[in-house]
Amino acid sequence: MAAGQAERRPLRLRVPLGPHGPLGLLVDPATWRALPYITVVSAVSGVTWFVILATAIPVALVTMLVWAGLPLLLVTMLLWRGGAMLERRMLRLALGLAIPDPYRPSPAGGPVRRLAALFGDPATWKDLGYLLLLFPLGLVEFLVTIILAVCCAAFLLQPALVAAGGRTVVNGNVVIDSVPEGLAWAAAGLVLLVATLYAVRGLAWLHGALAVALLGPGDEVRVRHLKASRARGVDAAEAERRRIERDLHDGAQQRLLTVAMDLGRARAKLDTDPDAARALIAQAHDGAKAAIAELRDLARGIHPAILTDRGLDAALSSLAARAPVQVSVSVEIDERPPPAVESIAYFVVAEALTNAAKHASAGRASVRVGRRGGRVVVEVGDDGAGGARVRAGGGLAGLADRAATIDGTLTVRSPPGGPTVVRAELPVEW
Amino acid sequence: MRVVIAEDSVLLREGLVRLLADGDIETVAAAGDGPGLVAAVREHRPDLAVVDVRMPPTHTDEGLRAAIEARRHRPGLPVLVLSQYVEERYATELVGRGAAAVGYLLKERIADVAEFLDAVRRVAAGGTVLDPEVVGQLLSRRRGDPVAALSARESEVLHLMAQGRSNTAIAGRLGVTAGAVEKHISGIFGKLGLDPAPDDHRRVLAVLAYLGSDR
Repeated sequence: MAAGQAERRPLRLRVPLGPHGPLGLLVDPATWRALPYITVVSAVSGVTWFVILATAIPVALVTMLVWAGLPLLLVTMLLWRGGAMLERRMLRLALGLAIPDPYRPSPAGGPVRRLAALFGDPATWKDLGYLLLLFPLGLVEFLVTIILAVCCAAFLLQPALVAAGGRTVVNGNVVIDSVPEGLAWAAAGLVLLVATLYAVRGLAWLHGALAVALLGPGDEVRVRHLKASRARGVDAAEAERRRIERDLHDGAQQRLLTVAMDLGRARAKLDTDPDAARALIAQAHDGAKAAIAELRDLARGIHPAILTDRGLDAALSSLAARAPVQVSVSVEIDERPPPAVESIAYFVVAEALTNAAKHASAGRASVRVGRRGGRVVVEVGDDGAGGARVRAGGGLAGLADRAATIDGTLTVRSPPGGPTVVRAELPVEW
Repeated sequence: MRVVIAEDSVLLREGLVRLLADGDIETVAAAGDGPGLVAAVREHRPDLAVVDVRMPPTHTDEGLRAAIEARRHRPGLPVLVLSQYVEERYATELVGRGAAAVGYLLKERIADVAEFLDAVRRVAAGGTVLDPEVVGQLLSRRRGDPVAALSARESEVLHLMAQGRSNTAIAGRLGVTAGAVEKHISGIFGKLGLDPAPDDHRRVLAVLAYLGSDR
């Protein structure tokens, strides 16, 4: 099994000097995917967009005086937004960057309102900035990589050239005409090859960072997302309060009422019919105990005391012990996360286990809690029938909303036929 | 018998005192928090301490920690811990420090007066009393191993045994003879691969150690 895993490790992890060494970069597919984009594609699109924009925008601004400019400007705007979308797709292919579209949702209403919204969307202007910057950036990338690659090829070819009887004159005074000299230049060529690899990756990283900053959603999208999820979080809390009220009213309150009734009847019968009174008291006793058990379950459903006292490991073990399916629990976090994170993690597991037993008729489930970077990752898997979805108003949707209020995420992967994996990622700071 | 009570709810504390008095058990002191319990135990040297887990100031596991502390001052002090919720983790913490004369029950078991008084006496006499719910949690963790090979009757007996009940009590509860219970018990010990232990108390320990040992 260990050998099988070693087979599957990518080549770049197995070469000497590691994945970030020269050999690692040489065999890393990412280098070769980035190469055509960095050398040629970015320069070509940079020049193309510069020509288009540098022509269309001044023309549009000048003709604005006779109103023809406005439609032209809008068409140009749509064009560059399209260009930015194309760039995002290309960057995904070339640099493996998943940059989501940052645009504000288009408002309802007539075309004028939509165009106005387009105009007011900062993403539109950031797209323009990126496409204009692509011109100098693309040129620099082109020059650096092409010069390095050409020199590298020329140096590496020296021994072959000398062997074929040729000679090279550099600047009129450096002459390469012997095999040792040729080999020395070839060695320099190897160094240059390494430099080229690092240059390609370095430029790709730089280009990627710029693209993420200008083409990606900034804080605005995050803020919008948080606002929406906070509103849903408030709704979820409100719904939860109504549910608690209903449970108290339908459950414990009714039970205690019957207890009081039974006791009242027993008191009335105490002298006349002691046997009936005794039976009523026994009934009231049972009712009172049932009410206590019901209140205990309700309180645990609101917040389990053991979670506060002993943390996730103990609380999840206790949850697993009470679950109708067989559950294995593994919690690997050294430091206790904030109470809100613990609470959301706990209820995600509770809901997932309930669903596993109730809807998926699973036989076993596994709960894993770990820490990745600044996030607590909770994963609940089961071997049930699958087909679970996050339905609006359902338990999982409410938990997704709660997770979103602290900028966390909840995902459900559940193909028909199973297996189901519910995964929550919760930041420990927000 | 002389008892010290630690319980922060006055209503319940008074109720407990009256309930114990009905069973001819004298309450020599009643404390409202952890330090109060430790002080009362040192002052009165009672035969038993009845302790609520959740007490001020933290309202988390004050009582549990106070009980462990009190037992440090008076090793072997019988302690009966009451809790709104029973959790296997607490049981392990309590029993892990020596299960002799330890009890751990859901608070609501007080309502079954006769059974509660019986538990009080068993703990004071050095026995172990565990809430059926804890035993249920312990057993449910052991699904799919030798515990699953037990017959229905045997697992009933195991359940009662883990709660700390004697052969006679188990026989009475199940409506069978003491001899039949002994036969079931040797069957259980055989299937679980445990050494037969002579007395009730060490038997409970063997069962609890077995149930708590996986992971």
